[in-house]
Amino acid sequence: MPEQPHQPEGAIAGTGMGGAMDLGASEAVTLERAPGGPPGTGPAGRPRSLWSDAWRDLRRNPVFLLSALVILFLVFISLWPSAIASGSPLTCDLAKSQDGPGPGAPFGYDGQGCNVYTRTVYGARASVTVGLCATLGVALLGSVLGGLAGYFGGTWDSLLSRLTDIFFAIPVVLGGLVLLSVVTSNTVWPVVGFMVLLGWPQISRIARGAVITAKQNDYVQAARALGASDSRILLRHIAPNAVAPVIVVATIALGTYIALEATLSYLGVGLKPPSVSWGIDISAASPYIRNAPHALLWPAGALALTVLAFIMLGDAVRDALDPKLR
Amino acid sequence: MLLDVRDLHVEFRTRDGITHAVNGVDYAVDAGETLAVLGESGSGKSVTAQAVMGILDTPPGRITAGRILFRGQDLLTLKEQERRRIRGAGMAMIFQDALSALNPVLSVGDQLGEMFVVHRGMSRKDARARAVELMDRVRIPAAAQRVRDYPHQFSGGMRQRIMIAMALSLEPALIIADEPTTALDVTVQAQVMDLLAELQREYRMGLILITHDLGVVADVADRIVVMYAGKIVESAPVHDLYKAPAHPYTRGLLDSVPRLDRKGRELYAIRGIPPNLTRIPPGCSFHPRCPMAQDVCRTDEPPLYAVSDGRGSACHFWRECLHGPDH
Repeated sequence: MPEQPHQPEGAIAGTGMGGAMDLGASEAVTLERAPGGPPGTGPAGRPRSLWSDAWRDLRRNPVFLLSALVILFLVFISLWPSAIASGSPLTCDLAKSQDGPGPGAPFGYDGQGCNVYTRTVYGARASVTVGLCATLGVALLGSVLGGLAGYFGGTWDSLLSRLTDIFFAIPVVLGGLVLLSVVTSNTVWPVVGFMVLLGWPQISRIARGAVITAKQNDYVQAARALGASDSRILLRHIAPNAVAPVIVVATIALGTYIALEATLSYLGVGLKPPSVSWGIDISAASPYIRNAPHALLWPAGALALTVLAFIMLGDAVRDALDPKLR
Repeated sequence: MLLDVRDLHVEFRTRDGITHAVNGVDYAVDAGETLAVLGESGSGKSVTAQAVMGILDTPPGRITAGRILFRGQDLLTLKEQERRRIRGAGMAMIFQDALSALNPVLSVGDQLGEMFVVHRGMSRKDARARAVELMDRVRIPAAAQRVRDYPHQFSGGMRQRIMIAMALSLEPALIIADEPTTALDVTVQAQVMDLLAELQREYRMGLILITHDLGVVADVADRIVVMYAGKIVESAPVHDLYKAPAHPYTRGLLDSVPRLDRKGRELYAIRGIPPNLTRIPPGCSFHPRCPMAQDVCRTDEPPLYAVSDGRGSACHFWRECLHGPDH
């Protein structure tokens, strides 16, 4: 530091005082990029947007890196579970019921004699599929409905707001028990559909608020004054400015949808055997918790880790996208 | 006549009642002419402009009476779609604060080019080329490199130049500039005003300059209308008005400007505050603040008296005001 005390100070003064000393020629001078780069340009002098700023923040955030690593691993084993687990999760040997860890079964065996390691690995697919699809559906439906209501206002907006109130009043687990108990299909889709049905009001509210905030900006009026249509204003001017809070809430919600899938499966209305899901395994293992706790702890641990990873990711994304927290 | 606003009335329905923002405004602008609209906050000058542009928020706003003739066509009878075609191509608006009037997530090139995409159906690439041309026109250095930059990367003066470029892009016949230099510091103000005046001469556009800054007006405007409580109180060629105002409100405004030859003396201020637009005083709406007010002002609303050719004043005592300062 003592060798070059004036270098950084000079750079700061040069860019910072430009605005105050705009005198004809000097206004042009401030526009030329100083070696250090004026505020608002990246190290390479490239323009910086909210997104590139956020990405730069995220790359340096250990919480983000750790949770992203866990999530990438989860996605990988949901796509190719056989890459790290041999055998089928449905091949069980009652003779090995409640056995501890053995060769090929580092997590031991559950009450039915199934390989807990294999089942835990294969269980990721249901959780990740439900989580991603439900979030995608909720985000799309919620932001379209909420965005339109916020932009156009009036009767539809009031109607939608009351409708979201009604949906908020439905207890999720009770709703799941009632609605899903009549479903016979044993795929993830009824569960996803149920979550979209009950989840969209949350995103819709966020999107509505974000659109109302963005709508009041001068640039929306400016765009209108220059002849832009409603659809252009909504898609090109409002949407990019309103999407950040939706992304944040959706990422955090993803974790809760995974937990909800496990809850519903535990209660017997989500996925049902022979599907493989952490919720089913936790439910099946809970009667034997004293004799074979490992059969419960591994799927429960995997579930907790997954939910935690997504919520941490959501937190990190929120921190990066909210400029006020910088 | 390029733009002819006749007897325009605009009101807003609010929780406290009906706000009468514009109460019978008449003004006209011809091609190549600059009309300055002067008034304090809440005088209705911006609302009038929004009504002309068709960007008034309705509801709560409502145009209750009047006509807005643009090239002889009454805009208020047009469908929204037809008006949209006129916005941008026929008339455009320059906003006060370019930082908030430019979209922060789009590069300036995208925003400038959007005009050509929307109105001319150009491809993105052609639109970008036109954006660079426009930035050159408003003298933004290194336009070709800066076209990809975002609004926050420009200085205030440069941002306002971009706003001007956007408004000028389709060479509209009429530009409404709503306090275009208020957010800028004084030296940059002069540059931006000079640029605007120069471009206006070049394209022979009509310009409506909304401002509360008397200094800005004197240099560039041809005519001036002074608004108070949603009405025009004085309308005059700019030099006549500066020489001798014919309305006590205008006189008050001119006297409130700090001047070097009055250094050390207390600065004049118009007493009182602008009226509440939900309860505009009867008679002359300026009478509670007027140093010349008589009984007649409390009861009779003054019409716009013809002071001379092309000059009007809405004061019962315009003669006294014109001929002698009395404070």
